[in-house]
This record gives sequence, C-alpha cells and structure tokens, in this order.
Amino acid sequence: MALDGPKQDFKYIGTRPERPDGWDKVTGKARFGADFSMPGMLHGAILRSPHAHAKIIKIDATKALALKGVKAVVTRADFPEGLEGEDWNIQENVMAGEKALYDGHAVAAVAATSQLIARDALKLIEVEYEVLPHVTDVDKAMAEDAPVIREGAADYSVPEGMHPNVVRYMESGRGDLEKGFAEADLVIEESFTTEAAHQGYIEPHACVANLGADGKGDLWCCTQGHWFVRQMCTAVLGLEATQLRVTPSEIGGGFGGKTTVFIDPVALALSRKAGRPVKLVMSRSEVLRATGPTASASMDIKMGMTKEGKITAASGTFRMQGGAFPGAPVDVTTMLAFANYDIEHVHHVGYDVMTNRPKQAAYRAPGAPMGAFATESVLDELCRGLGLDPIETRLKNAVKEGTPATFGPKFPPVGLIETLEEARAHPNYSVKLGPNQGRGVASGYWMNWGGETSASVAIGDDGSVQVSIGTVDIGGSRASMALMAAEAFGIPYENVRVSIADTGSLGINEPTHGSRATFASGLAIIEASREATRKLCQRAADKWGIDADAVTWEDGCAKPSGPNAGEFDPLTIAEIAAEMGSTGGPISGHHESTPDGFGGSFGTHVVDVEVDPETGRTTILRYLVVQDAGKAIHPAYVEGQFQGGAVQGIGWTLNEEYIYGEDGRLQNPIFLDYRVPVASDLPMIDTVIVEVPNPGHPYGVRGVGETGITPPLPAIANAVRDAIGVRMKKLPLTPPRVLAAIKARD
Amino acid sequence: MQYHTPPSFEEASRIAASASGTTRFLAGGTDVLVQLRSDLVTPDDLIDVKHIPGVKEIARQEDGGWRIGVAVAGAEMTEHPDLGRDWPGIVEGMDLIGSTQIQGRATLVGNLCNGSPAADGVPALVAAGASVTVTGPNGARDVAVADIPTGPGKTCLEKGEVISALNIPARGENGGDAYLRFIPRTEMDIAVVGCAVNLRVDGDTITEARVVLGAVAPTIRAVQACADALIGTTLDDAALEALDKAARAACEPIDDKRGTVEFRTDVAGVLARRAAKIAYARAKGEQS
Amino acid sequence: MVQVHLWSGLRPLVDGREVVEVEGETVGQLLDNLVKDYPGLKPAIDKGVSISVDGQIIPKSRGVKVKDSSEVFLLQRLYAG
Repeated sequence: MALDGPKQDFKYIGTRPERPDGWDKVTGKARFGADFSMPGMLHGAILRSPHAHAKIIKIDATKALALKGVKAVVTRADFPEGLEGEDWNIQENVMAGEKALYDGHAVAAVAATSQLIARDALKLIEVEYEVLPHVTDVDKAMAEDAPVIREGAADYSVPEGMHPNVVRYMESGRGDLEKGFAEADLVIEESFTTEAAHQGYIEPHACVANLGADGKGDLWCCTQGHWFVRQMCTAVLGLEATQLRVTPSEIGGGFGGKTTVFIDPVALALSRKAGRPVKLVMSRSEVLRATGPTASASMDIKMGMTKEGKITAASGTFRMQGGAFPGAPVDVTTMLAFANYDIEHVHHVGYDVMTNRPKQAAYRAPGAPMGAFATESVLDELCRGLGLDPIETRLKNAVKEGTPATFGPKFPPVGLIETLEEARAHPNYSVKLGPNQGRGVASGYWMNWGGETSASVAIGDDGSVQVSIGTVDIGGSRASMALMAAEAFGIPYENVRVSIADTGSLGINEPTHGSRATFASGLAIIEASREATRKLCQRAADKWGIDADAVTWEDGCAKPSGPNAGEFDPLTIAEIAAEMGSTGGPISGHHESTPDGFGGSFGTHVVDVEVDPETGRTTILRYLVVQDAGKAIHPAYVEGQFQGGAVQGIGWTLNEEYIYGEDGRLQNPIFLDYRVPVASDLPMIDTVIVEVPNPGHPYGVRGVGETGITPPLPAIANAVRDAIGVRMKKLPLTPPRVLAAIKARD
Repeated sequence: MQYHTPPSFEEASRIAASASGTTRFLAGGTDVLVQLRSDLVTPDDLIDVKHIPGVKEIARQEDGGWRIGVAVAGAEMTEHPDLGRDWPGIVEGMDLIGSTQIQGRATLVGNLCNGSPAADGVPALVAAGASVTVTGPNGARDVAVADIPTGPGKTCLEKGEVISALNIPARGENGGDAYLRFIPRTEMDIAVVGCAVNLRVDGDTITEARVVLGAVAPTIRAVQACADALIGTTLDDAALEALDKAARAACEPIDDKRGTVEFRTDVAGVLARRAAKIAYARAKGEQS
Repeated sequence: MVQVHLWSGLRPLVDGREVVEVEGETVGQLLDNLVKDYPGLKPAIDKGVSISVDGQIIPKSRGVKVKDSSEVFLLQRLYAG
C-alpha cells in the first residue's frame, strides 16, 4: 500500500481527552462477559480432571442426568472427530479425549436450570481414571525416562533421537562463535530459569451460547478477538463459519490469554444438546488451572565482550514447556533474545517441549521476557566484570536503522538508542542509592503486528461520524480510534462514536493482539475516513458544479481548491450530511487490508530496589519506563500501557509462579497464593514516551502494548544483584530464595 | 440449608446443639461465605449471630479492660478513639486482614474461630492475655484465647458452644504491644510468619513480657523462652539476640508454597526482634 | 533471481546452503518457487514461515513485491501474541 510519509502536524492526535467508555466502566453500566443473559437460559459447569495425567476409562453421567433441573451433559463424544493440527489441539484442550493431560483438564460438562444444580450434577458424574506417570518440569520432560505426553506430536524440525516430548526444534544464527568468543576479554556463561506466569486479567472467561440443531448460532463472550473465537468454535464443532455470529462483551483484560477459546465451544455444545441458551462462567481457580498461562523456560546463555564494551559473540539454548500441546513461544524467544544488539557472531537453539500442564496461551510479548531475563542478566554481569556503565555499554552495541538483526534482516528505523539516551538523562538514573539498595537497567524489544483488518466509518445525518471496528477495546482504543477519525475528518473528538462490531457486521479482524489495534485498526480508520472525505468532496463538487479534483477537505469542510475552482463558501460536514439522502445516498468509507508496515518498539527500563537483608523481601523504590511509541495518539493510554507492562513484569519477577506439587497438581490456584502485585506494592511508574515515527503508518504509530513487559524481568534482577551482590538466576525472586542467596553469600 | 437469626446466644447455642449436620456460625462471613461459595463447606445450619443485641459494641469495662462484641468489624476497631491507644498491637493485627472492603465485615472472633495458625488477629490477643466468653448448653464460661485453637482449622469449642464476647484486660501503666507479620507483598496476603509482643517496663527495664508466634507451628504459640529473654533487660543487643534465638528454637513450621522451614524459622527471629522494639518504644511512650 | 537467506535450522534441508536463489516478483512466487526448486524446504514452508523483505517482516501477505536486489530472509513463523 502506498502511503505518504507520516504526518507530523496534528490538531487532535497527542491530546488526552476522556475515554468514551470511561463513564460506563466506572459506574458499572458497561456489560462484561458474565453480565449477559437470555430468556430460558441454562447454566453450565465443567468437570475437571484432578489428575495431572490419566487415561479416561469410563464416564458415567446417568446419575447426573437423573437430577432434577439437569438438561444436558456433554463429553468428547459430542464433538466431531477427524480434526487435525491446531484445530485438534484446541478441541482436545477444551474437552479431553482418551486422556486427561493436566490437572484441571475438562472431561465433561453439564447444563442445568441453575448454577447450583449444575455444580451438584458435576459431583454425580462418575469418571474412572487410570492414573499415569506425569511430568511438569521442562528439563525433566526432556530426560530419557520422562513419561510421554503424546507420541507423534513432533514436527519435521525435531532431529532423530530426541524424546517424543520435544515437539519442535529450532536453530538460527550467523558468524563464527569460536572466533567471536576468542575476541572477547571476558566471556560469561550462565543458566537461568523462569516459571510459568498467568496473565492475571481481572475478568474470568464468560460466555452465553445459543446454538440450534440447524447449526445456526450466536455467542456472546469476553474475548480479545471474536473472529478468532468464531473460527475456533466452528472448527471444533464442525459448523459453517458465518452461521455462528459472535458478539464481544466489554473485556476486563486479556494480555493475550483471551485470543483463544476454553469454554466457548463447550457452552455451544451444551446449548446444541439442550436446545436452550447456556451460560458458562469460569471461577478464578478454573482460570488459573485450565486457561493458558505463559511457558516456563530453562536457558543457557554465553556472551563475550571486549574491555571497551563491544559484544563479540553470543549464544543461547532455550528450552520451554507450553503444557500438553505444541506451541511454547520458543521461536520468538530465540529470535528476540539478543535482538537489541549488533552482534556479528550469534547462535540460538530452541526446544518446544510438552509437559502435563495447561496449554499455554499468548501472554504480552509471548516468549520475549524469558529470553531477555537471561541475556540481559549476562550482559549486566559482563558490564560488572569489566567495570562498564550499563547504559553506555548498551549504547555501544544498540541496533539502529540498517543494523543486521541477530535474526537476519536489517532493521528499519527504530528507537533503541533514543530510549537509552532518555533513560540516561532522566533524574531517576542519578538518584543516590542507600544501603541495601540497588539499580538495574535492561532493554527489550517487540516486533509488533499488522494482521487482518476491516473497518468502516459512516456519516450521520447531523455530520457526526460513526466508526465501526473489529478490534475490542482493552486499553482505551475507542479513544485512540476517535482521535484518529477526528483528525482525518477535521471534526471534534466528541463528534465521533466508536463501536465494536460483531462478526456479522464487518470482514474478518484479527484480535486486539500483537500490539496491533492502534496501528492496524487506526490505519484502517484513517484510510476509511479518507475515502469518506473524498465522497464528501464529490457531493460538494456536484453542488457547486465543479470538478471533484477542484475540491479539498480541510477542518471538517469541503473547500474549493486553487484560484480556478471558483468562489464558493465552504460546506461543512453537517451541511453535506443534511442533504446526503437527496444527493446520492448515505456516505460511508471502508478499508480492509493486512497491513505489513508495523514497526517494532524498543524500550529501556531503570529500576531501583531495596532488599531487606534479614527477610529477602524486595521493595521497588523507583521505576522508569522509556519506550518508543512512534507517535502517541492518546499519550495517557500509551503511558498506561508502559506502566501496565512494568507492573506485570514486577509480578512475574518477584512473586508470581505456577507451583506444582509432587502429585502434578497446581498448588496455588487462587489469587491469595498466586501473588500478583497489589497497588501498595508499587511506586508510581515513571514514563517517558519516545517518538521515532513508523514510516509504515500514516501518523507514524507503533504498537506499544507488549514491549513494556520485556525489560522488567532482567531490570529488576539486575537491581537485586546490585543490592545484594548475588546473581539470582531463577525467577521469581521470592523472599525465601533471596534470603537463601544472601545467607549463602555471607 | 437452614438460615437462623437467633435473638440471643442462648438461642444460638440451642440451635447448634440440636443441629444434626454441619453447622457454621455467621458473623462477618469473610471465611464462611468464601468456603460456601467455593464448595468447601455447605452447612446444613447457618446461624447468623449479627442480630443478637450488643454484638456490635466495643465497651470499656469498669476495671479498664475492654469487651468487644463478636460482630465488631476490623474497621470499627481501627476507628475506635481509645482502643488502639491501649492495645495498638491488637488493633494493627486485626487491621492487616484483607482489604478495606473486608475490614468492613471481618471480625476478630471469626478470625479466632477459623482456627488458622496464621491468623493475624490472634497472636496479639494471646500476648495481651485476652479471654473469650463461651455460651453453651451448660451456661457460660470464660476461656483464654490461647486455649481456643487446638490445631489447623480446629478449636476446643464443643458442639453447641458459641463465643459470645471477647474480653481484653486493662492495659495498665507502662505497657506496650505490637504485632508484625511477614508477607511477600504489602497487603492482601496470609502471614508466612507472625509475631506479637506485649510487655511492661519499669523505667528502661522490662518487667513483664509475652511473645507469641504465628504460622510457625500447628497453632499460634506463646513462647515463654522468648519472654524470659526479655524480662529484666533493657532490650539491649544481647537481649535481642537471645530473643531471636529463642524464637527460632520455638519454630516447628512446615515447608509449603508460602515459605520453607528455614525461611520461616529465620524470619520468626527477625520479627520477634522488630516487634519487641516497637512494643518497647510504645511501653515507654516514645511511639504510638 | 532473488537471494533468500535461510535460518540455520533449514540449512541441512538444502545441502547446508545459507542462501538460495529463486525467481519471483512477489513473496508468494518466492515461496512457491522455493518449494519447487528446493523440495527439502517443503515441510518447513507448509508448516508456515514468515519472510522479511528489506527489513519489513511479512507474516503472511503473498502479494508484497520483491526485487532481485531485495534483502530477503525466511523467518520462523511468527504469531501476534
């Protein structure tokens, strides 16, 4: 697509108006997933495996079906056979077939006239299991004697002789490692692990399904992407895509975890069988046990550096488990592990490993934070070993436009150097630290995403503008879309209304994921608005009796352009709209594409911590996020994304982890013991927005959602290293682990 | 499930005594309702004691002690103008439980009856020498708070018995108490280790002391060796070191997802020292 | 002919070559010709790959134009996250 260079002078872009959905959300008027209901609706509940790995011998639902109020029970037998690839994976995950593959795996479901009856009915379903040996740790799952999760799951890439649990293998790099390490004055080699973390969205998954025996249905659900839901549900149930209409609710967070389905196909299957609408709402325990946390990782990193601070070579081996299915994001981990730096000799090896854990799902920059934790920790040790400043050293190695990336191609314009310079200049970087305090620095990258996009604008009869997009509003994107439409039309922000369309009202849209909504839906809105303004100009030209080429659109008005166009008073959008029914009909604009001009975003974080030397407890004293937004459409929501990424990173680094017992069961499936940070754990997160325009977007936008969770893991670990003098190589940095490290030091 | 709102503790006791299935008393409900909704316990009889006269009162007794109703919420204790001046450790222990919303419901007696060794409200009560009035089929009796919990989730209360009031002794002169807990976060968590200290001074010298540890044994534990380490000292370094050592020695914790044996033992010593310093400063009037 | 750089995991499939040359004016033509001229790459390309053209990552658009002088890398199939 041909685009002019990014626009630079703006009237509305860069301002901070109130978000259009704000009042509804703070007053409780907004409807989230569990707020929807229908006449005649039943309530569903799901029976889940208490075993980490077990053969399902028999399921007997006779007693449950005999309970008054129970209308349907479904098992895997109610789903079609013969699916392949990811469709089969999703079907197997939403309802177990021959084996239960993890603690919490769905084995049957009930629909009844009340939630209490449905829950009572679950207790009456008799499941006979043959318990099998299990494995939940990535390194153990690769060992020779590890129980096999599923034979034949490996793809072409896995070399012969590896354990069947290794399902994908990857290797990439360039140069000559031996030569590179020989050029170094200091070489450091260390191993690291991270534990699985959950996205921790505040809203559990919820849906209402209504599916007829004729295969036509409706689904209302909480999701990041309703076309994805449609594709997955229709594939899993053997339906025709467009016969299922999916309408998204407001969404209480997703962070990648709501780009797939867990309960929606089950609710549809129950509804089809019962002949009534069925509502399913997950509890928090179900969310933690049976949705998709991120992968856990085990990593070996080796890096070399000259005494001047130049990285000479880097290699990494990354082993990641993503549960009982292929899909741990190790491809991205390997690709981005060293992507901040210009390194001639670099090599990556990655293993995607299956274990008896829930099927991992995307989590904010999936795969990137783990790799960054390991590589940025080693870089920090190199700086310490050679007595170098961490920001100066990063500046010396930072990629810029034209640098060949460690994953191959040359970078387009990017802003890593700008973020490092801003971080160095920020007052936080020179605050004097006290005893038991430490400072850490780390940088991170996310390449962002375009994705299939379809959007429309329609002019109202009073000249206001209706915008329809297919990406749900998670982080304030209605406001950003309205700002971009206001800018393109030259009309006030308040005159734009943004709606999220259902799957019956627009072409396919990928979810709000990959930090793509503001970039891709925004681009589509700008192009659709430009189409509409061309039509508005045409109506004015017709009225004035001049050529449309002689009309220009400016500040919400059609104006004659140039001296030869003639003398006419400008026509406002409202004036043209008032007459549109009699001048050719409604005026709208539409745009659809899979835009490829997404630009990656770099960020640099600086964090100060204090570690209690007697308890090992880490307090975050100060936190600075500097990140490239390309162009901040609504700066408050860009800052919100920066802060949110940092906070989730703080949780993952300090306390969040999936803890499995010897029995393979999740030990902490509640927020009491799965410890996300609470507000009082956090300082105000300081932010600096860097703007290096993305040439691939008309206003220069880069996605900002995901990069922010990439630097926190190493930045905090580096700060703790600075405070206690010990390198922590296993996340999270819980007080018992930190205290043990302090005691071992002394 | 039968839901009862008895007008007196005698009636509550009678209902409980005649119940045949699972019985729960309901005050703030911050444990009972959570257990009910998570399908952990479905009581056959739920006896709501909030409607009994006097259960929301905090009353100063003639001897200077306090009588606290069984449905008094944490927030009401925190906001009371005088209670926290006498017993800051008891009030701060209760105040650590849950969020602002939970504080509007949760009760100290409920925290005690839940029987958790990690209960934040209980160690300071034990350190203060508090007792409860228990109403049962055979009338009322007073029981030391220390004797109520008998193991994780268990209490010494017999069938048909219900706690009808909490009695805190008079503070007296030159006394101070304090409660500290360790959690990895700053709130909304369960104590990995808790420690309450209550002491009295004469000048700079400690004359009376009680030290109580939470979450390091099957029940909350009053440790005489810790008290002995403090009595007769001016809380100098040697006393603190002896206290730390005695606290560690008293620990019999478990290894679980919330903390290791080694960690809990270490931190018990740390909290004992830190809580003792606060209680000492309060006893001397140097800190509120 | 366009030079296509391969990630090292693919090199055993094409006799150890780091770069292969194929005809093509679009991303789609390049991918089709890679499979035709280097059948060893078929399982990888069938499974899904991303491609970069002059620094821009192209997750799946087959219509993107490619010149003989373009810098082209095959990349692991990328997801949005």
